[in-house]
Order: sequence, then C-alpha cells, then structure tokens
Amino acid sequence: MNLARLSLRLRVFLFFAALALGNIAALVAGLVFGFEKLGEPEALDGFIIGGVVAGFVITGLITAVWFLFDENLAKPIERLAGGIRARTHAQVETELDAETARYLGDLAPAAAAITQHLNETRSALTESVQRETTRLAQEKERLETLLSDVPVGVLLCTAEHQLVFYNGQATDLLGGTHAPGLDRRVFDYLHRAPICHAYERLLETDDPDAASDLLCASVADGKTLAARMRLISEGEDHHVTRRAGYVLTLRDVSSDMRAHASREALMDELFDRIRRPAAALQSLTGVLIADDGPTEPEARAQFRGAARAEAANLGAAIHTLFERHEAMRADWWPLAMIRASDLGEAVRARLAAQEGPDLMAVTAPLMLRLEGFEMVSLLAMLVARLGPERGDMRLEITEEGAGALIALEWRGPQVPISELESWLDDPLQVGMEDVTGRRVIAAHASEIWPENMGDGRGRICLPLREARRVSKRPPPVPRAVVYDFDLLGRAREGEVAKTPLENLNFVVFDTETTGLLPSEGDEIVQIAAVRIVNGRRVETEVFDTLVNPGRHIPEVSTAVHGISDAMVAEAPDIIDVGRRFHKFAEGAVLIAHNAPFDMEFLRRKEGAIGLSFDNPVLDTVLLSAVVFGQSEVHSLDALTHRLGITIPEEARHTAIGDTVATADAFLKLLPALKSRGLLTFGDVVAEVRKHGRLLKDLNG
Amino acid sequence: MADGGRKRRVLIVEDEDNIAIALDYLMSREGFEHDRIASGRGALERIRTEQPDLVLLDVMLPEVSGYEICQEVRADRGLADVKILMMTARGSAMERRKGLALGADGFIAKPFELKELRDEVHRLLDAEGA
Repeated sequence: MNLARLSLRLRVFLFFAALALGNIAALVAGLVFGFEKLGEPEALDGFIIGGVVAGFVITGLITAVWFLFDENLAKPIERLAGGIRARTHAQVETELDAETARYLGDLAPAAAAITQHLNETRSALTESVQRETTRLAQEKERLETLLSDVPVGVLLCTAEHQLVFYNGQATDLLGGTHAPGLDRRVFDYLHRAPICHAYERLLETDDPDAASDLLCASVADGKTLAARMRLISEGEDHHVTRRAGYVLTLRDVSSDMRAHASREALMDELFDRIRRPAAALQSLTGVLIADDGPTEPEARAQFRGAARAEAANLGAAIHTLFERHEAMRADWWPLAMIRASDLGEAVRARLAAQEGPDLMAVTAPLMLRLEGFEMVSLLAMLVARLGPERGDMRLEITEEGAGALIALEWRGPQVPISELESWLDDPLQVGMEDVTGRRVIAAHASEIWPENMGDGRGRICLPLREARRVSKRPPPVPRAVVYDFDLLGRAREGEVAKTPLENLNFVVFDTETTGLLPSEGDEIVQIAAVRIVNGRRVETEVFDTLVNPGRHIPEVSTAVHGISDAMVAEAPDIIDVGRRFHKFAEGAVLIAHNAPFDMEFLRRKEGAIGLSFDNPVLDTVLLSAVVFGQSEVHSLDALTHRLGITIPEEARHTAIGDTVATADAFLKLLPALKSRGLLTFGDVVAEVRKHGRLLKDLNG
Repeated sequence: MADGGRKRRVLIVEDEDNIAIALDYLMSREGFEHDRIASGRGALERIRTEQPDLVLLDVMLPEVSGYEICQEVRADRGLADVKILMMTARGSAMERRKGLALGADGFIAKPFELKELRDEVHRLLDAEGA
C-alpha cells in the first residue's frame, strides 16, 4: 500500500492511531509483565483497572494532540495547497489567507508571496500577449485593407493550383457568372497552359526571388490578363520546394491590347491610303510640269483628270482617317466612367479645400467617360482663374448627343479665348509638371472655348465625347480579401469516405419552392448556398438567386417565403441557375436541412440542366438525430435553438437565412460528431444510416 | 457681284503661301476684290479698316489664333456684317463646334477641293445678299 497516495490528513490520523495503538500495546505488555512478576492473582483487577484508566488517558492525550495537529497543521496545509493550486491553475487572483495557517510558521506568508509573484508575472505576460495580439490584429487588418485596395487582382495558390487567397479585384477580373472561391482550382478561372508553363519554369530556376511574367486569359469571358507569378518560399531558409505554392498578380490588359491593335491598324491604313494617291500625284504632276510633258489637249486633260481624282482620294483618305483617329483617341487614354454628380461634388470639395468660391453644380443623371482627378483639377483651376470679379458660378453638365457638355457659367465679364488658352498652358496642381489643362483636354479628345450667353453671363464649354444615362449603379468591386492560409499545408485527400470531415469542402444550401410536391409540378423559386472550407464558413462566397419557376406561385407559398410572381418575372430560369449552382457546388459535399426535399427538386431538373448533382450529401436532420438522439425534435428551429444559434426574424424562411443557420448548425455539430469517434465522412454516413434510410438514396 | 454692282471684298488670313496662292487665284476668278495677310497679328486691324464682306480665316496662325480673331470680330458691333469662313487643318467635329460657337459663319477642313470652298463662299455671301 502506497501511503503517499493517501491524503495528508489521513496519513497524520493513521500516524497518531498507530502511536495510540503502540502506547496501548506497550502499556498492556508492561502490565502483563509486572503482573507475572508479582505473582499475585488477586492483584489482577487492580492491574486491569489501572491499565484501562492509563489506556484511556493515553488515547485521550494522543487524540487531543492529533486533533490539534489536524486542525492547526494538516488542515491548513491542505487548504494552503488547494489555494496554491487554485492560484496556479484556475487563475484565481485573490491573496492567500495567511490567518488559516498561522501555526505553519513562515509557510503561509512564503506561499502567499509565491502566488502573488505568480499572479503579477502572469498578468504582465497576459498584458504583453494581449498587446502583441492587438498589434498583430491591427497589422493584419491594415494588410488586408492594403491588399483589398491594390488595383490588381491578387491570387495565392497551392502547388496543386488551389486558391487559398484572393482579393476583390481578382473576383472582378475572374468573375463572370462564376465567382472565385477558396480551395477551388485556379484553372476554373484561368486557362491552364500559361500558368503551368510559368510554374514549371519557376520551379526549375530554384530561385526564390524569381518572377515570371505571362499573359493568360480568363475562362469566363476571355479577358486577356497580364500576370506575374512568384513562388512562395516554404520553410525558414526560404528554400523553394516542389510543394511550394505561388502568388499570381493579374491586370486586365484587354482594352490596352485592343487600343494598341486598333492604333496599329489605323497607322497601317493611314500609310497605305496616303502613300498610293501621293505617289500617283507626284508622278502625274511630274509629267504635267515637265518641260517635255504632253502638249496635246486630250493628253493633258487626261493627266489633269487623273491628278484631280488622286487629290480627291488623298483628301478623302485624310478626312476619314482623321475622323476615325479622333473617335478612337479617347480610348487610348485610361479613362473611367464617372457619375456627373460625383464630378460636381468633387469640384465643389476641391474648391472648398482651396477656400475658393462656392459653386452650384447642376448635373444630369449621366455617367461621363473621363479622367476624374485631372478633370477636377482643370475645372477647379478654371474657377480659380475666373476670379472674384465673376460670381454666381454654376457647373452645368448636360447630355449632348452621345456625349455631354460641361459648362462653367458665371455672371460677370466675358473671357477672351486668348486668356483661356494661356491658362491652359500652366501646369495643373496634380503633382506632375507636364500635366497642363491643354493636355487634359487633348487626353479627352476635346476642345474648350468661352461663350457669351448674353444678360451679363458667360460660360466656358468643354464637351465630352462619351457619356451615357445613369442606369443602376454597378456593384462596387468588393474590397474584402478572402483567404485561409492553412489550406497551403493541407494534404489532398483521395476518397471522400476516408477523408476527415475538416478536410472536406461543404456547400450548404436551401431552396424555396412553389409548393411541397415536385411530382405535382411544384418548382424552385429561390436557391441560396454558402461554402464551408477548412471548417469555416466563407462569408463572401454566397450563392443567392431567385428562379423563375415558369408557373404561378400560390399565395399560400408566397405567405411562407415572401416570393411573389412579380419578383421572379425577370429572374433566370432553373436551367441557368441550376448550371451556376452546379458550378458553385463542384467538388463539395452538399448539406441541407431535410436534404431529400431539396435534392428531389434539383434532381428532377438534371435532364433539362444537362448536369447531374452527384455530390455526396449530408442532412442536418439526420446529423441532429445522431448527436441528440431520435426522440428529440429535429426541425431547423429546434436544432438551432438547441445549439444557441439565433436566426434573425427577417431572415427566417428566406433561403439565405435558413442556409446560414443550417451551415452554422453543421459547424457546431462537427465537434460533437468527432467526440463520438465519427472522424471521416464515411464514419458519419455509416452512423447516419442507422437513423434513416434516406441517405442510402442520396449517397448511392 | 450683288450689292449694287460693288465688288465683294474678301480678306484671306492664311500663313501657308501655297494655299494662299490657290485662294488668291480662286477669289480673282470668282470676281472678288481680295487681299491676303499671312499672320494673325494685324489681321484684326485690317478687318476693322477694310470691313471685308468675308474673311477666309485659317485657325492655326502664328502669334494670334484664328479663334481669337473670330471672337474679337464678333465682339465688335461695327463688324456685325463681316462673314467669317474658318479653315482648319484638323477639322474635328469638336473644332467645328468651337469655331461656330465663337462666331464663325462657316467651317471648312483642309484639305478641301477648291469647288467645295467656292460653294461655301457663295453660300455665305449670297445669304448675306439675300
């Protein structure tokens, strides 16, 4: 028996019990010895009484000493040890009570000093970890902002060409109808050959700093993209291994290339169309003016006729080519479409910053093709130059043919064009010496002039070649960056059934329908889905679209999901949406709450869509049954309530609201499944089959 | 040759000598009184003193541009009857708008055929006489 395993108090008690027993044994032995020696049997009673009295006294004394020992030493020691443990492991920060251990000498003050020192060290450490964590979080946030704002698309891919990072610009460049997603193949978005070629070439160099420039094309819409690839170093020595991933920066050069090609074509045509009539004219006039030139009237008339025709050809060629040059000129400058009201506001803001005069901006609802910063600088310069002698300034932007007219109006003296022209020669305040008003106007292939409007008013006119009526503001380029660097080190799994759950990608989805019976003609009116990658819901990767069911939506269904006939009138049909959803769900396990219902609607449309939804499927109803038992209620409300997930009232019964709730419920069920030893997809499916026959159908 | 038999007066403001030769020839052949000045500077003075019926005004002139001359003429009420036909080597639609906005009565882009110019000159002068 190992006494060390017994508690201190028990050991002390046993020690005193042994002492008492030993004393009593010694007493009994002494009395027996004395009695034998005396040899008087009648003295037995006296011996027994004396022995009993002495035994009680000895036991009483020892018990009293044990009690004092237990109260003042053993108990305080245990309390002190518990206190030290609590302060060591449970982060208790109150001071130890030295009074309870006052008989332990300096032990209690010493223990108090240790725990206090421990607390101080620990709070200093916590504080410094917190400080460092905050600093890192801020740094991370700044880097995210920076990367989300760089005007090029940035992708980070694993060696297997799976995406682990992308920014908003990349989404914009690669998007089309199929937005990029984490852990998807980069070849879903970019043509394979140039990427593979550049990657192989970089691996061969074995130089971690080498970069490769390449041209590639987007799969969605064939945009030409100029890209730069650089390998990611792995390990501390920056040695590039075979498994290294790479960073790809992308810039859309389609318009540059188109502009360059059209300019080249125009130049070729210019030389071609001028050279021939110029050569003919030179020859014809050479003959006509030669001393021995033709003298007969018919011959001269023939030469003159030919010369006239060639001169006309030359003139016509110059005019038509010039017109085309003018029409294309603005395309050669990087001009963006800017809202007229934004331009007006920007000029007002610039003037306010320069403490210039107030300006009333009256703008038509137009999008103007212009270089915003330079145009704002030019207009602000003009207002400043018009000076205080002119007042009641207005900036009016109106539609004019295919373009717009920017007019800066005032009350006061007219502006001579010579003065206006001289203003245009000065550099604008844009930080570049060679940017003058004249250059800005040339970049827009435009002209500028003053006009007298009568009634003491004048204006400066600046027409723009290209403008269009404002339609709906296009969605802004998303600024978010999306990433999961853990994917870089994740090994690719083979068979889904043997893959650990956290290594699988999931697409959680929900459908809203015209009714409950697909066999009776009910159809999908909305599909929403979210992706779960590496055990995390990727917030930006969302599929949410209405579907035109091609039939009436009964009022009773509209009452449930709020989707009416009018809302889906312009929506795409199930064939289009189904294809996009199929792409969104590619390579993922599909999850739905009561999956057979949603899958039935999808699978009925496989023929029309031309694709089959053969993804592995999980059903959160059955997962709930596995975790909480069959007797529980497994409705989405009950499940989310049980897991502490709240669905906002406005999101309940919307496809996306229910989808997000299902996804979050699934993520909370994952650890519970793992704790039951269900680690792989195969384990889960096998367990689930005990709870229902549905999965047999869904997972083959 | 309307206006009581008085010969129409045309002032040619053109710095390119070879074009000016052709314009001189054309104006003579059409029976106009004509004169030429090769620079923008002084052109306005000549217009004020000579009060021509028509100014053939090149846009790209040394020192003072054709636009400037045009604006000055239009600002002078005494020259309200003077017609201006602008000639430009570029001839973009924007330039045409600018020229017309500054008060030109007609606009012709180089290179042009003499017949084209003659028709334009007659259009302007006949409109004035009408």
